[in-house]
Amino acid sequence: MKFLAYAARRLAASLPTLLILLAGLFVLLQFAPGDTVDALMAQAGGGDAVMAAELRRFYGLDLSVPERLAAYLWRLVRLDLGFSAIYNKPVATVILERLTPTLLLMASSLSLAFAAGMVLGVLAARRVNGWPDTVISTLGLIFYATPSFWFGLMGIVVFAVKLAWLPPGGYGTVGAGYAGLRLMLDIAWHLILPTVTLALIFLAIYLRIMRAAMLEVLNLDFVRAARAKGLSETRVLVRHVLRNALLPMVTLIGLQAGTMLGGSVVVESVFSLPGLGRLAYESVVQRDLNTLLGIVFVSAILVIVVNFVVDLLYAKLDPRITATG
Amino acid sequence: MAAFRRYLRSPAPVLGLVLLMAVIAMALCADLVFPRDPLALAGRPLQWPGTNPRFWLGTDGSGRDIAAQIFHGARVSLLIGVVATAIAIALGIAIGAVAGFYGGGVDTVLMRVTEAFQTLPNFILLLVLVAVFGSDIVTVTVSIGAVSWPAPARLTRAEVLSLRNREFVLACRTLGMGDLRLILGEILPNALPPVIVYASVVMAVAILLESALAFLGLSDPNVASWGNLIGTGRTVIRSEWYVSAIPGVAILVTVLAVSLVGQGLNDALNPRLKERT
Amino acid sequence: MQIGRRDLLAGAAVAAALPGALRAQEQPRRGGTVTVHMGSEQRILNGSLRASTGVYVVAAKMQEPLVELDGEGRPVPMLAVAWQSAPDGLTHTFRLRQGVRWHDGKPFTSADVQYTAMEMWKKHLNYGTALQLYLQAVDTPDPHTAVFRYSRPMPQDLLLRAMVDLGYISPKHVFEGTNVLENPANTAPVGTGPFRFVQYERGQFIIADRNPDYWNAGYPYLDRIVWRFITDKAAATAAMEAGQVQLSPYSSLPLADMDRLRKDPRFIVSTRGNEGNAVTNTVEFNCRRDFFKDVRVRRAICHALDVDFFCENFLYGFGKRGTGPIPSSSPDFYTPGMPQYEFDRRKAERLLDEAGFRRGAGGVRFRVRLLPAPWGEDIALWATFIQQSLQPIGIPVEIVRRDAAGFLTAVYRDHDFDLATGWHQYRNDPAVSTTVWYRSGSPPGSPWTNQFGWQSDEVDRLIDDAASELDPARRKAKYAEFTRKVLEEVPVWMAIERQFISVTSARLRNHHNTPRWPSSHWSDLWIAS
Repeated sequence: MKFLAYAARRLAASLPTLLILLAGLFVLLQFAPGDTVDALMAQAGGGDAVMAAELRRFYGLDLSVPERLAAYLWRLVRLDLGFSAIYNKPVATVILERLTPTLLLMASSLSLAFAAGMVLGVLAARRVNGWPDTVISTLGLIFYATPSFWFGLMGIVVFAVKLAWLPPGGYGTVGAGYAGLRLMLDIAWHLILPTVTLALIFLAIYLRIMRAAMLEVLNLDFVRAARAKGLSETRVLVRHVLRNALLPMVTLIGLQAGTMLGGSVVVESVFSLPGLGRLAYESVVQRDLNTLLGIVFVSAILVIVVNFVVDLLYAKLDPRITATG
Repeated sequence: MAAFRRYLRSPAPVLGLVLLMAVIAMALCADLVFPRDPLALAGRPLQWPGTNPRFWLGTDGSGRDIAAQIFHGARVSLLIGVVATAIAIALGIAIGAVAGFYGGGVDTVLMRVTEAFQTLPNFILLLVLVAVFGSDIVTVTVSIGAVSWPAPARLTRAEVLSLRNREFVLACRTLGMGDLRLILGEILPNALPPVIVYASVVMAVAILLESALAFLGLSDPNVASWGNLIGTGRTVIRSEWYVSAIPGVAILVTVLAVSLVGQGLNDALNPRLKERT
Repeated sequence: MQIGRRDLLAGAAVAAALPGALRAQEQPRRGGTVTVHMGSEQRILNGSLRASTGVYVVAAKMQEPLVELDGEGRPVPMLAVAWQSAPDGLTHTFRLRQGVRWHDGKPFTSADVQYTAMEMWKKHLNYGTALQLYLQAVDTPDPHTAVFRYSRPMPQDLLLRAMVDLGYISPKHVFEGTNVLENPANTAPVGTGPFRFVQYERGQFIIADRNPDYWNAGYPYLDRIVWRFITDKAAATAAMEAGQVQLSPYSSLPLADMDRLRKDPRFIVSTRGNEGNAVTNTVEFNCRRDFFKDVRVRRAICHALDVDFFCENFLYGFGKRGTGPIPSSSPDFYTPGMPQYEFDRRKAERLLDEAGFRRGAGGVRFRVRLLPAPWGEDIALWATFIQQSLQPIGIPVEIVRRDAAGFLTAVYRDHDFDLATGWHQYRNDPAVSTTVWYRSGSPPGSPWTNQFGWQSDEVDRLIDDAASELDPARRKAKYAEFTRKVLEEVPVWMAIERQFISVTSARLRNHHNTPRWPSSHWSDLWIAS
């Protein structure tokens, strides 16, 4: 119960921020050249002024900006995200359809980056400035410095076209009619390349944090004491060092959630994944204001939730902090 | 001086410095080596590197000399990186310092705004800004700066918070020093080092952001940026992969150099880690 | 005044038009799935509401028009089996096919034609609203006869050719009494066609399965068609090479990849079957600007662009010098031998000097801003080429990149451009989507119309006369005169003539055998083992 109340309080505290953000974006997009009807006309390959005027009236685009903003915020208060002109569906439906691939992609990439970063970070820190450290750190930096779209395209060329080990894109075999475990395996199969591509950007950061945290902790008195007591290297590592080093890494997850969604715009575009990131890009280009604001709303909630979970984890890892505090 | 010696002691930061110098040298001598407009039609499009001695890195899909674009592009990418970083760091320091120094209501409001920006994926905000204000080089640079300030702001605020109640600050205050002088003269110089180190991260991200924009076809087509070259090479990546591979490597090297230098600075200014081993 | 070949089934007509001894020996194989690459997604999958190749490539397998084109480009029966026009061109009578059922089992009747024409084509369909402007009513004397009544003469050949694209029929019982634009059937089509809609996953794929009750017994051959959305062009090529996709229509792959796949025996890369969908790359002048007000400056720009060099080196030969607004692939309206703007940089410079725009400081005459449309790789290349070509004659060009909505608003509503470039799509008859590029009077905000600040009474008159001229020969002559005039004045220059390119797996049979094949029904398409 305590947790729930805490969660509710956290959410309530972020709501004003969110409203300001949405209103700001709404106003900002009014300055964009062209509206969603122009985008619709471009998509349809032509049309005349009468048709355009009628569509504008239909989507309420003939009203003034303050009127539309007021209407939007009023709908939002009732948790109604509105209707998408481009997708011809309620925004909530459009987003829900696209949410799963992005969540899967983000979760698997984060896990991969986290796990690999941890292992490599430990390896690097144990022989600091030795050759494994240099190799691992440099490799991490190279991954970090490679533009992700380039990495993804090259991955497709090598692993999908030349070697034919992995599918070149998409989210599951189309029309295969798989269900249950077979479906999950199929999706996982399609997500391998995108996951690796997105994870590589973040791998270097986790690796660096892990390495630094390890070095910091290895030097602390209690670890020295543990070593002096004759505990084996592995036990010292797992018992004392990892636990403390995890703290900054967990914090970082919260900070990275937003960035990751941004990164998925490009990755989803390369691998034709029907996710939220690509949807965001498309709605900017198509001036689909309702959908874009809906995505911002949902991703903000997502970031808030992730941070909340991170806080809980934090409390578990570090007994000095209490979740109620 | 001790920090500098510490910086030079390990090989990675030295490598970073050398690479960065090389990129800067390319940017400086671009006009000497390739005096022609790098965007002009130079020859038949899509000539492989090495097939024509005039174009040792080949030509792109529009018949432009890739080597010329790499040299001139070093200038553009560095400029975008440096200016966007300057904007982000300046904004971040200003907001972070004010929030950290005054605390209370000002702090709450500013941190709410910062949080709002951090909640919004920065690349999506960047897309919106470019869609609204167009994609000329100035807009792109300013937009990249404008989406990158929250992290430096938080960092600055944390530093200022920890310094605010130190003895020397309190002493200055009792001497009747004004807020502005106190912030600029006493607190910031002490708060800056980690923020400056962080600038290397901002700069690396800025260069990558521009290349991602160009990949989506939303960067300024009138300048020879590496991102644009990758963008035009995107469609020929299966056959003439060198068109996007060469600027890809250029970006990689630059971002790597900036990161290595940043890491080196971090280790040098924070010597505790190094000395232990 | 021509009776359609009523006993020719569309599928049989298509098969008869097929040349090639090899094909004739092969026995069509039933079954199998063809996966089609889609580069972008449409909001409405209903050919009665949206005229767009992106709609037809999906919807035309489920919905059908009244008439279709055969292998020689002549109108042949689909849902209409015969047609007759009154001598004054004011009434056109269509006899409809009997025994046709909608996918939901209801019979197809003249009421559906009446409803679609009056409520969809006339009110919502792009280009349809203009084409059917003078359509007064559709009478239905019996369930299998529809009589179109016009208040102004409508040439039969114009109506038939336009209806190939603008003549898709929707079921009245599904749409009547609903909001036509928001009807769920717009994304889950209910039609009479050879394939039935099954599933649409936004951003991923569309599936349609064989319609066992199709009126053309024995067709279609395929069991299923899948359309996959792959937005990244390079990734789409990879999917084709990995064997996941068998067909990529409408030039959706990178030019370089199409050129490479030309040499790959697993694929057929060709413009065949796209003759009815000619595209020209434009150079659009804003004649409100001081410099472009002068026709000599506009001509100078045309002379400065080496179109042949561009087509050969940048388009891999997928395109040729344009000769006017009517493409050479439209023999019924195309007149060869029109005056042309050959590449001549010195002449361009002379014309500019004569017009008073001499080189000033730094050799600059004046500066222009060029807006390229954001669709199509060729447009980006062409824009860069314009920039590269005008710089040497003293006109520095700034390329201004906008997304689709931004481009259309800037050029066709706010007129905020000096030069623009994009595509003009020719749709079988100049009156459908071509003359609007030159006719004055389109309100600002209508994309792909004359928004160039240029007007000519003579051209306006020619366009209006030709649109209601009933005699085909006289009509062609009027369009020849129109072409000569607009080539002389060049408010917009149709610089390059191209056809869409399809990349097809070599295992497919009976493909690209009609002039608008990717947009047609595909009932005779099959896969060789």
